[in-house]
Amino acid sequence: MATYQEFIQQNEDRDGVRFSWNVWPSSRLEATRMVVPLGCLFTPLKERADLPPIQYDPVLCTRPTCRAILNPFCQIDYRAKMWACNFCYQRNPFPPQYTAISEQHQPAEIIPQFSTLEYTITRATCHPPIYLIVLDTCMEEEDLQAVKESLQMSLSLLPPNALIGLITFGKMVQVHELGSEGVSKSYVFRGTKDLTAKQIQEMLGIGRGQAPQQQRGPQAPQQQFQLPSNRFLQPVHKCDMSLTDLLGELQRDPWPVAQGKRPLRSAGAALSIAVGLLECTFPNTGARIMTFLGGPCTQGPGMVVGDELKHPIRSHHDIEKDNCKYMKKGMKHYEALGHRAANNGHVLDIYSCALDQTGLHEMKFCPKYTGGHMVMGDSFNTSLFKQTFQRVFSKDQKGEFKMAFGATLEVKTSRELKVSGAIGPCVSLGVKGQSVSDTEIGLGGTCQWKMCGLYPNTSLGIFFEVVNQHNAPIPQGGRGYLQFITQYQHSSGQRRVRVTTVARNWADASSNIQHIAAGFDQEAGAVLMSRIAVYRAETDDGPDVLRWLDRMLIRLCQKFGEYHKDDPNSFRFSENFSLYPQFMFHLRRSQFLQVFNNSPDETSYYRHMLNIEDLTQSLIMIQPILYAYSFTGPPEPVLLDTNSLQPDRILLMDTFFHIVIYHGETIDQWKKAGYADLPEYENFKQLLQAPVDDAQEILQTRFPMPRYIVTEHDGSQSRFLLSKVNPSQTHNNMYGFGQDAGAAVLTDDVSLQVFMEHLKKLAVSSSS
Amino acid sequence: QEKKLISPEGVEAPKPSLYHDHKRVNCNPEVFRCTLNAIPQNSSLLNKARLPLGILIHPFKDLSQLPVIQSSVIVRCRSCRTYINPFVTFVDQRRWKCNLCFRVNELPDEFSFDPVTKTYGDPQRRPEIKSATIEFIAPSEYMLRPPQPAVYLFVLDVSFNAIETGYLRLFSQTLLEELERLPGDARMQIGFLCFDRSLYFFNLSEGLSQPQMMVVPDLEDVFLPTPDSLLVNLHECREMVVELLNQLPGLFEGNHETGNALGSALQAAYKLMHSTGGRITVMQTILPTVGPGALENREASSQAASLNSSNLGPASDFYKKLALDCSAQQVAVDLFLLNGQYADIATVACISKYSAGSVQYYPSFHTVRNPAMSDKFESDLRRYLTRKVGFEAVMRIRCTRGVSIHTFHGNFFVRSTDLLSLPNVNPDAGFGMQMSIEENLTESSNVCFQAALLYTSSKGERRIRVHSLAVPITNQLSDVFAGADQQAIASLLAKMAADRTVSSSLEDARDAMMNACQDMMNAYATQIPASQRAGALMVPYTLRLVPLFVLAMLKSTAFRLSPSIKVDERVFAHLLAKTLPTSYLLQTYYPHLYPVHNLNDENVIERNNEKVPKAPRLQLSSANIDRHGVYVMDQGENMFLMVGGAVSDVFCQEVFDMPNFMSIPEGMADLPELENPTSERLRCFISHLMDSRPGGVTFLVLREDSKLRNRFFQYMVEDRTESSMSYYEFLQFVQQKIKG
Ligand SMILES: [Zn+2]
Ligand SMILES: [Zn+2]
Repeated sequence: MATYQEFIQQNEDRDGVRFSWNVWPSSRLEATRMVVPLGCLFTPLKERADLPPIQYDPVLCTRPTCRAILNPFCQIDYRAKMWACNFCYQRNPFPPQYTAISEQHQPAEIIPQFSTLEYTITRATCHPPIYLIVLDTCMEEEDLQAVKESLQMSLSLLPPNALIGLITFGKMVQVHELGSEGVSKSYVFRGTKDLTAKQIQEMLGIGRGQAPQQQRGPQAPQQQFQLPSNRFLQPVHKCDMSLTDLLGELQRDPWPVAQGKRPLRSAGAALSIAVGLLECTFPNTGARIMTFLGGPCTQGPGMVVGDELKHPIRSHHDIEKDNCKYMKKGMKHYEALGHRAANNGHVLDIYSCALDQTGLHEMKFCPKYTGGHMVMGDSFNTSLFKQTFQRVFSKDQKGEFKMAFGATLEVKTSRELKVSGAIGPCVSLGVKGQSVSDTEIGLGGTCQWKMCGLYPNTSLGIFFEVVNQHNAPIPQGGRGYLQFITQYQHSSGQRRVRVTTVARNWADASSNIQHIAAGFDQEAGAVLMSRIAVYRAETDDGPDVLRWLDRMLIRLCQKFGEYHKDDPNSFRFSENFSLYPQFMFHLRRSQFLQVFNNSPDETSYYRHMLNIEDLTQSLIMIQPILYAYSFTGPPEPVLLDTNSLQPDRILLMDTFFHIVIYHGETIDQWKKAGYADLPEYENFKQLLQAPVDDAQEILQTRFPMPRYIVTEHDGSQSRFLLSKVNPSQTHNNMYGFGQDAGAAVLTDDVSLQVFMEHLKKLAVSSSS
Repeated sequence: QEKKLISPEGVEAPKPSLYHDHKRVNCNPEVFRCTLNAIPQNSSLLNKARLPLGILIHPFKDLSQLPVIQSSVIVRCRSCRTYINPFVTFVDQRRWKCNLCFRVNELPDEFSFDPVTKTYGDPQRRPEIKSATIEFIAPSEYMLRPPQPAVYLFVLDVSFNAIETGYLRLFSQTLLEELERLPGDARMQIGFLCFDRSLYFFNLSEGLSQPQMMVVPDLEDVFLPTPDSLLVNLHECREMVVELLNQLPGLFEGNHETGNALGSALQAAYKLMHSTGGRITVMQTILPTVGPGALENREASSQAASLNSSNLGPASDFYKKLALDCSAQQVAVDLFLLNGQYADIATVACISKYSAGSVQYYPSFHTVRNPAMSDKFESDLRRYLTRKVGFEAVMRIRCTRGVSIHTFHGNFFVRSTDLLSLPNVNPDAGFGMQMSIEENLTESSNVCFQAALLYTSSKGERRIRVHSLAVPITNQLSDVFAGADQQAIASLLAKMAADRTVSSSLEDARDAMMNACQDMMNAYATQIPASQRAGALMVPYTLRLVPLFVLAMLKSTAFRLSPSIKVDERVFAHLLAKTLPTSYLLQTYYPHLYPVHNLNDENVIERNNEKVPKAPRLQLSSANIDRHGVYVMDQGENMFLMVGGAVSDVFCQEVFDMPNFMSIPEGMADLPELENPTSERLRCFISHLMDSRPGGVTFLVLREDSKLRNRFFQYMVEDRTESSMSYYEFLQFVQQKIKG
């Protein structure tokens, strides 16, 4: 019998799913007492090199209200050529082409190792993806040059049949016609005006490309049609030369900017036109709107700040004091755009590079609802942006883009379960059904969600409710089932359906609580709780979230800890719970919930990434990883604690957003003395190099590329490290403990130790 | 009834009878003339004469000789600011007396200084005193701002209808050919704006690899898509301009958009030009249908629409308002109307009328179906592109004290009682002013009119062109009649009638013309003792053509009571009445007719080393048309070659390269270049006629039996038709009304 650790790992590798609880309490009442809700982090397109290519349609349960897909958990009657649905118990005949089925001759979908399987719908037409560039021209020359070069580079990465378009904006919004010879053409719109899709369509003189393609189930009839290109969206192979020239000739916004003013930047109108253009030409076809933003929108719909430089853009303080003139209106604009784009299956990316804020706080809905990228940097002329942008077009081993489009995720549950909601880069499709719970967590009230843009790491938090009554018997077979059906447009244009079916055992919590406890996945639990916390923080008030998190943690300790009442010292947590309080400690003090050291844009950016990433990356965000390099042994992970800051160590911290190399005091002195250059100190040189190499490995793969910081003891940049480590030694307590090693952290935050003491006290208290 | 009212040589303009020196230097009547070459001393005498008093001026006419003076001092009357002129009197060597307000002014020393002899001498030597037309290069006090560069913006209709006519290709080609000759200096700027339902701007800045077209489809609240590069320096960006002109026809080929947003295009053009001023040239082929300034088809809504004066005036003040904005910013709008269907010229032309622009109309224009019109458009356009243009102009008309202007005719904005705003002045524009006599004119023997045109030349010089006209004063009614200028009178009557048609009615305007004719005849008759009256109509020699001209006007497109005349045709005829210089205007009413079947070498005039045959002018009566003959009729805008049915086969062969009359094809717009004297003489005669006007002319060969023959015969104004009087009948009609 494998350990739970192995079981969890295996399941994640195979199905891309991590449950908070791997043994499910069999009654509604018990489930509510588990504190951490039953849920999973699901990665629909988890990279699987070993999936067999299936070129036929999945077999569906014939019960109209069920339509679950044949899977390894179904009982097969080989003689009768029937299969029993494990969700509704309907007995279904196999379709004619399965006549040869036998125990020796099984189709892939019923072989146990293929609990996740991907079907390619061969009858569906292929759509090449569409890329619409929306480019701010109110930038410094150097930035504009850099972004132009990046875009020119990207042309060579796109499949030749992909359609591409270009919209530029400054005071005006310009929609460029591509591939026109002799005279380059563009349509110009006032940046202060919000146009409807219909107006845009009329003004651009484009007919509706095709009848809107409704969401198609695998069985829905497929229509043959040619993807019509129009003057504004042309195949890359036809226009890459002219587009390269066009980009090359692109100038900074020509409108004069008066002293003391910001440039008039019509980002809101530009995005609206981009959304409208795709809406009326290619609804329900995979498309990305790639927005490059060099500053805040200062006029028209979606403006976030006025053009007077003396009025700064809103801060968290302003938001708290409800002192933001443009924020709510701006948010409304971008939220509506996000919804429209999502409804049409289009992705909205925002690449924001500026020293000041650009309005990501208001615009966040666009990437959030559509699964778009949100990238934040200081300048387009940095490797951070350039590398990041290049990675957008990264490919898998088969040489195919990792990006996928237009996905819908449907969740089917066995009768004892219902789905409460999802949190992630998606919108609800509002599909009610038998498996939809009345209790909502995140986007609820539906069993289907739309994810317009997704990558192999894109993950949704999905939450469930046990509806089995307390006095009902443990369900038949002792297992509950979930099926995740992800239909999407592969970058090759193919329609694909990925089906993941999972089963977990039921346990009676009143008699077998230890089984349930043993199945707790504290990492998944922490990530799911952080998604809920951020979701609440975005929709409700911040401080309440912290209190809620504390309360939940205390209750979890009370429920699953071992202790004697009112004796904090007696408190014990089993191993698979032991790290959870630490995660919560770091989550509480993280930038996701503590906003006042960040700008609203930064907060939105950080939260956006937490809302998308898979479990491993999310954990790094919640509790950064710290490695130590020293002469005393090989590199080792060390506690994220001030005690880890030693003079003779080099530290490498990965917070997901930042990679920090920190040289301890002695190391720094040696380095400054130039020992690394001396042949006799070759080993010092190697020591210095080791974390750099390791950092490079992360920098090469991470998306977006993290900020890379090399600092040293007392270096000004060391704050990036110091703000993350547990302040076990601060100026408040360092003298009292009299420790000589370690560096003091100037903070009034409580340390993990103090936090734990409090926690234990509260958990064991008989009064709470 | 006289057989030969018009001499074979045509009609001469009379000159004011001043004493010899003044007569010699007086202003050329082609430039400046008064309806009366002897001005009544007071208004009652004028009333007795029943003759209209007015002046007609063609101030920027191309002149072969023009004295230009660059002088630090421009001598002007200190009181009324009149420029010193040949008709002033010198009180002594150092003082001169203004001939308009009679103030005695000091003469600056420089004025009498001769730089050649370095001596002070007789001020009479000065060109200001020796010429009634003179031009000064103005010093800086004549500038409100530094002279602006020549700025040309072309606003081009590219709607379906426009492209279909084929004009865009012809326009682009012609402009390309004439690009070098556009008047301007190194600062000259040029820009293009196309429009249908959308506006198409062009960024032509140097350094681009190709022109950039920016389409603005949103017509509400028109805006410029980019702050600069829409108007570019022609010398720096010539390549881009040439490239655009080469691309332009192809760019809109197959355009199916039928909407026309002229109003928005003009608003955008104004925005482009308002900081510099300049010239906007509009090519328009259809009724504006969308956006601000969109118009209804008024012609379709009523029968005989052109008889209804409400259709002959503007339907909205949109174009007038915009024109006034343009005028205020020194922008003039010139219209080329190429519409086959109704395009409401009455409304649209306001944009030119009040901004001192010009209006050209090419009905039924089509490059393939109407080659004659296409040729006229092309030569008009060439002339237009290369003719002189004065920018930021104002024209002030001063008159001797006691005479004042009460009504202006032409395209301009009246800024004050004697000052016209002319954002552009062009060499083909004429103006008329009606005057009244307010005081007894006893202080002087002459009345003097002075027109001063202050403008910026295309080379960026501020210049003042001054025309002075002196006319003697008389207290004798007979002198008044003896000095009447019948052409000027007819021309002024036409202008007044054009106004009257819109302000009152067509019938009113016609009655007024007839009444004027009768009144002046009556006035003349009554001053002749009864004993000398012979019972026949008494017509002074100087006014002998007035009844003929009035009859021609009554039968013209402008004033004929015919429901078949299109509204736009009538409106355009009125525009011509208001703006054409006198001789051209009268030619449109009473075309020149020449027999050309007997051209020979005996009677030739030398012109540009060419022997141009002469032919006598004929009066417009069918009696003068012989079936054996061939005739040229020159109506100014149109020219016809009428071939009689009995023309000889030899003539047909020699001129048309056709064996006989019956083989001459319909619709010939050109004569073949055949090498024989008959052909050469005729072509020489015709091309000489064509060269005698600044613009182009349509040319059409008509066979006597052609179904288009009425284009020619409608001008036989002395004939009787079903609905109109013959000249003889008209004379009788005039006489009837004359009280014994
Ligand atoms: Zn089923
Ligand atoms: Zn004076």
